[in-house]
Amino acid sequence: MDGATQRKVAIICSHGGLDEVYPSLILANAARQSGIDAFVFFTFWGLDAITESKVDHLHVNLAGNASSVMPTMVAGLPGMESIAAKMMQKQMTDLELPTVREMLEILDDSGARLYACELAMKMFKREKKDLVAQVQDVITAGDFYDLAEGAQIIFT
Amino acid sequence: MSAIDSTQDTVLARLASIEAGVASMLERQRRQDEMLDELRPMMSVAMRSVTQRLDEFERKGHAEFLRELSAVGQRVLESYSADDVRQFGDAIIGILDTVRAMTQPEVLSVLGEAAGTLAHAEKAEALGLVGMVRASGNTDVQRGMGVLMELLKKVGQGASAARRSGAPVKRLEARISPRATAGALASTAPKSRAAACGTMKAAAPAAEVVSIDGVAFTPDGHLADPSAWTRPLGERLAATLGVQLTEAHWKVLEFARKDWEATGSAPNIRRITTSIDVTTKELYALFPKAPGRTVAKIAGIPKPAGCL
Repeated sequence: MDGATQRKVAIICSHGGLDEVYPSLILANAARQSGIDAFVFFTFWGLDAITESKVDHLHVNLAGNASSVMPTMVAGLPGMESIAAKMMQKQMTDLELPTVREMLEILDDSGARLYACELAMKMFKREKKDLVAQVQDVITAGDFYDLAEGAQIIFT
Repeated sequence: MSAIDSTQDTVLARLASIEAGVASMLERQRRQDEMLDELRPMMSVAMRSVTQRLDEFERKGHAEFLRELSAVGQRVLESYSADDVRQFGDAIIGILDTVRAMTQPEVLSVLGEAAGTLAHAEKAEALGLVGMVRASGNTDVQRGMGVLMELLKKVGQGASAARRSGAPVKRLEARISPRATAGALASTAPKSRAAACGTMKAAAPAAEVVSIDGVAFTPDGHLADPSAWTRPLGERLAATLGVQLTEAHWKVLEFARKDWEATGSAPNIRRITTSIDVTTKELYALFPKAPGRTVAKIAGIPKPAGCL
């Protein structure tokens, strides 16, 4: 396929919950598997997914989640999110789903490109060295649009 | 004569007493008249003042009431559109129907009983799980549960009906919009077939299986019958997909075929990289453009399942 017809997707990952990061990563991976170019822009809480110290400890958002089996009153108790995250991790392991860190490695290997949002980096006082190695660059939203020109944009 | 005199005396004496009575009556009347004469001006002043005061109060009250009423009207006008009011009008009928249904004597008696129980709520004992189970043996409780279940069912039906009532619009949308998707599918199918087999240039009309040079393909470009696959056919397929097969390619292809034979489904990228000694990066280098699908196409097996 020539460049003119090459499909592209640009995925914006703005949340840091385990349940919120996976869809972005899986969509990006599915795109690559289908021969579609994929760009992922991590912004706001989504930065946690590419932050070295956080990537292995992402939580599941339970409180205020209408799909959660746990009532919000219970979900808000301390430690509940850790328990839920562990349970979800276990389910994912059973399904042979890679961890978020592995997913990032797979995405990088498959040629997907990962970017961090410059403004969010400043807000959360993070530097490029705090991020996982797979992140290509820290860029602005405008830069992201330039890179992803002609792409279908997916916001998660 | 003396008899006449005595009668005359009696009459006179009676007349005198009558006169005295009349005089005292007149005197009383005169005094009353005098009092009234004195009172009248006072009364009229007092009455006038009271009437005025009342009138004033009334006017003031009415004005205030009217002012408030117009303020309410203004607020209603500001907050609700004509449509809202129309909807409200429709709703009133429903509300009245509900009120009518709720004020049926039998309903009222049930509610009255229930209210009575609530009024004496302090008499009710605290009930735990065990108590609840025990109470469920009581026929009254059972009937009550039945009624509550019916109520729940109705609420559920109402909710479903409310959801369904939104459906016609969606159906209409669906009828108008999905053409884009259908069109996209129709246009990609012949393309992928052509990609799978360079020899076929003319796109056949959408069909289940397309036969090229005596080999049958599915519309998405995979071999229709995996058992018909041979190594030379794999090489030909690879060539049409622009892949120059090497030993490394064959290692992946052989695993894919073996895995398909063993499991009945084509391995996805994740399964390939975790099963044999090849990394994701290498796989994308060996089979650029959708490695999972390309491997499956060349290996003559169906499209891999799953997202990984």
